[in-house]
Amino acid sequence: MSVSIEIPDKPGGAPALGGVIQSMGRDRTLLEMAIMTAVFLALWPVIGQHRVTDFMVFCILVLSFDLLYGYMGRLSFGHVLYYGTGGYMFSVFINYATPNPLLGMVVGIVAAMVVAMAVGLIVSRADGAPFSLTNLAFNQIGVFCALSAFAEWTKGDNGLPSTKMQPVWFLDFLQKPVNFWFSLFWLLLVFYFLKRLTRSPYGLLVRSIKEDESRVRFLGYNTFFYKWLTYVISCTLAGLAGVLITLNYTFVSPHAMDPNSNLDIIFASLLGGAGNLYGAIVGGILYQLIKNFLPMWVSDWEAFLGIVLLILVFNFRKGVTGFVVDRLAGRNAASMQPRGGEAR
Amino acid sequence: MIQTLVQGLTIGGILYFVSVGLSLTFGTMKIVNFAHAAVYCLGIYLFITIMPLVGGMHPLALVIAMAAIVPFAYVVERYVIRRLYGESVDYTIIATYAVLLISTNVIKRVWGVQPQPVADPIGKFLDMGDATISVYRLSIVALAFLVFIGLSLFFSRSVVGKIVVAALDDNEGVRRLGLDVNRYFSIVFMLGSALAVLGGILYAPMTAVQPYMGFTILLLGFAVVIVGGMGNLNGTFFAAIGLGLVMAITGRFWSQAAETMVFIVMGIVLIFKPLETYGTSGK
Repeated sequence: MSVSIEIPDKPGGAPALGGVIQSMGRDRTLLEMAIMTAVFLALWPVIGQHRVTDFMVFCILVLSFDLLYGYMGRLSFGHVLYYGTGGYMFSVFINYATPNPLLGMVVGIVAAMVVAMAVGLIVSRADGAPFSLTNLAFNQIGVFCALSAFAEWTKGDNGLPSTKMQPVWFLDFLQKPVNFWFSLFWLLLVFYFLKRLTRSPYGLLVRSIKEDESRVRFLGYNTFFYKWLTYVISCTLAGLAGVLITLNYTFVSPHAMDPNSNLDIIFASLLGGAGNLYGAIVGGILYQLIKNFLPMWVSDWEAFLGIVLLILVFNFRKGVTGFVVDRLAGRNAASMQPRGGEAR
Repeated sequence: MIQTLVQGLTIGGILYFVSVGLSLTFGTMKIVNFAHAAVYCLGIYLFITIMPLVGGMHPLALVIAMAAIVPFAYVVERYVIRRLYGESVDYTIIATYAVLLISTNVIKRVWGVQPQPVADPIGKFLDMGDATISVYRLSIVALAFLVFIGLSLFFSRSVVGKIVVAALDDNEGVRRLGLDVNRYFSIVFMLGSALAVLGGILYAPMTAVQPYMGFTILLLGFAVVIVGGMGNLNGTFFAAIGLGLVMAITGRFWSQAAETMVFIVMGIVLIFKPLETYGTSGK
């Protein structure tokens, strides 16, 4: 893997996006969050507010994926299962229980968590390729559940609208600006949470599992439990993203769970640079910009995506943020490059 | 009942053709090869193009398509997979998936997205009392068993096969004997690709040929490989037949659930099977 094990709190280890924000301790996180807010607010008039909300939710999804892939080194090919589960359970709750979106949100997130707890028990036993493929298989099962098995409730291919939801307090989710601020709030919260989490001893343990699991186990840690826990946290956050996107679109369809969408997340993660939270944000925004605007000029979208993926895998494993950091850090960091991507 | 059985064995046979390549690539090179679906799909389209050129002779077109895919497989192996040899599994998954995306796009450009029909080349049916059985399906089952026996002989008797089996067991060991393992892997890769094309062409009359057909069969192939054991050739065969039967029996009662049942069986197998960790985490 391209990411080194050094603790990002140390000077020079943290991949900051510019020289401006450096070693300001606790204030730095606040500053970063302010910058993120500014970036999304700046995007608002340029690409439209609905899209920006879309981007932010996607960033949450990529962040959640990054915990699993970037930090723990487990490439899941079924992450959208939880995205879809969150969205569906939210919508089902709105339609068949009470039209309270906040309660629905709790239900959606808890549902994703419960599914992740159960599935995690199976998939955490595997790593490498079996992990990816087992997740993919569960994703297929999820699509089947949404499309056929529970079609009576999910309305199958037609999708399930959640326009029934009522305003709670001042939160009327049928109003687009409310969605914007609400998603932004959650994005900042998730970012802050993951930042604290990945810098904690737990975060270090998770990264150690990525580097060499057997050694961590040898130190006396129950690695299975930590792998399971990380899986559950990551998937629960994906469920949150699923709920938020359903709020934004007031609609959920089996397309949300399409196994091919996993590629969007992987691609965004790689593009930004896997294994750091800034990478997830940058990758999420860049990927969505490409996806939304490139097809206007390039009709062979899939081939383009494939070629860019190949280039990323062969030449730019650290993604955009890694590239920028290397440039800023001069040749020192660049000379360490060949060690990246060795067999794990 | 016997119809369901034949149906299951037919699907099992086709799954076997497709999975052999996946299993071998994983066993030898530790690579999850999504490009296998590209090879599979491209092979079928080549077959459709070749068919009218050779006057509609199905077996001849089949052999030509299988041969025609070998250079493509070689290019994929040489310029994508070999470059990633020994790297983390993630990158190989992403890179081979990228190849799949590119080839799907090319297929869409060249042949269009409309499903293409392929006729049953035999078209005869056996009357078995209350059930009629397609001779074509029976011949697929027979061919699957023949290929299984053939491959078993190949891997136990021929020098190339023996080297590959040894490398499956201990890659480094074989390397230390001074053998160029990569060359043998390359041969095995092309063999697996040709078999995938065989499976695809045989399956074509029973399904709709469209650019995305590789994806579903690839997922099923992965399930077969995981159930049968990665790199375990006998396991692949029996897992393919078993899962084919699972699909046919489920499909008899609830047709939409057939494919999902395969993954459920896979999940159950994973719960009870001690899972070796493959090639990641610091090996």
